[in-house]
Amino acid sequence: MEYKADKCGYCGACVAVCPHELLKQVENQIIITEGCDDCGKCTIVCPLGALNSEECP
Amino acid sequence: MKYDMIVVGGRIGGSVSSLIASQNDLDVLMIEKRQEIGTPVQCAEGTTYQTFETLDMKPSKKYICSDIEGAMVHAPDGRSIDLFEYGLMLENFTNEKTKGCILDRKIFDKHLAIQSAKAGTEIMVKTTVKDLIIKDGRICGVVAKHLGKTMEIHSDIVIAADGVESNMTRLAGLDNPKNPKDICSCAQYELVGLDVDPHWLHFYFGREIAPGGYLWIFPKGKESVNLGLGIRSPENTAYHYLKKFTAKLDATPVELNIGGVPLSGPIDKTYTDGLLVVGDAAGQVDPITGGGIHITASCAKIAGEVAARAIKMEDTSAKTLQEYDILWRKEFEEGLKTSLKYRKAADKLSDKDMNALAEYFVTNHSENFSKLGAIKFLGKHPHLLKLIKEFL
Repeated sequence: MEYKADKCGYCGACVAVCPHELLKQVENQIIITEGCDDCGKCTIVCPLGALNSEECP
Repeated sequence: MKYDMIVVGGRIGGSVSSLIASQNDLDVLMIEKRQEIGTPVQCAEGTTYQTFETLDMKPSKKYICSDIEGAMVHAPDGRSIDLFEYGLMLENFTNEKTKGCILDRKIFDKHLAIQSAKAGTEIMVKTTVKDLIIKDGRICGVVAKHLGKTMEIHSDIVIAADGVESNMTRLAGLDNPKNPKDICSCAQYELVGLDVDPHWLHFYFGREIAPGGYLWIFPKGKESVNLGLGIRSPENTAYHYLKKFTAKLDATPVELNIGGVPLSGPIDKTYTDGLLVVGDAAGQVDPITGGGIHITASCAKIAGEVAARAIKMEDTSAKTLQEYDILWRKEFEEGLKTSLKYRKAADKLSDKDMNALAEYFVTNHSENFSKLGAIKFLGKHPHLLKLIKEFL
């Protein structure tokens, strides 16, 4: 899973679905801890495609 | 540092619970991770006048942008249904108490925080809560970080009002990560230049417009509208559908809002030793509409009252705090459960089904509704009949 900080709107939707609780939201950034197994759940809910998607604002 | 109560999150749930607790003479600290309360907006901003009644507030033009007089639903094939004409949602258009309105959340949330501060709540902004302090199985404070400085702050009760991304509920063992199917991924523009009635809502349905959700246009006074959508689909992003819909419009954005809305209904347990959960973190959101302002405000008020009673009794055990869970469920659980059932049934509707339903409404005007007509209609659409049977 690739996180593109410049596409992120730090809404926290990804944090809500990460099954391993690796994502944490601080004020205006998402912090990712190691251990991702590319399950792709966060990419489904990210409204802007900051997590490995083709869309660009 | 020691307080009676710490509230994590400074939006509606946080400000209302801290306001009520402070009014009941508790020493309260509210912690907000953003540097500015009320921003960024993560909401379509629609609510009803019940919210102000619940909060004992005089509604003010300061934060009410539009009063709602009607709503139009647009089926995937473009057919439109005027809800007022069909006698649907009438309460929201005619009854003074349950009438709909569109808020300016930036002003409303800040106003609530100001009221809470005036009642005595201390507020920390740009402060992230990293952990809960748990001693002998009991929550008794938080570990917070502000501008690089980490601090332990103790309290007898913690209120988790930290939204859909809540890590308080996880740390307290009250919730698990959500299934993406239960999170509505939303994107919204505040648009200028769209020619719509400033007192009407519009809802658009269809797989090409908002798969697994709907698109809304909510007027924000005469000058702008919130045009947004929520989807549940892995194919494209919410932003993709927002761009697609607005590409053909002669309007320009002044704001982009995004967010995730929990549509799974309430979490199983909203209390534990020394902690209560309110708002999105507790799943206090209608699974059909995604609306949660009124429910959250009501539940947060109950949380503030129960917390105040518990502190006065010097007993913040789960047994005492359970009162919150009982009281808010008594008021809202049945409605939320019914709504979740409807949402699950609606998930199965195809565009074709929705078009057929819209056609039925349009051709059978309210006074012409008849049992025979309905039976004939369902005979032609056995798939819908099956869905209805699941309900009954």
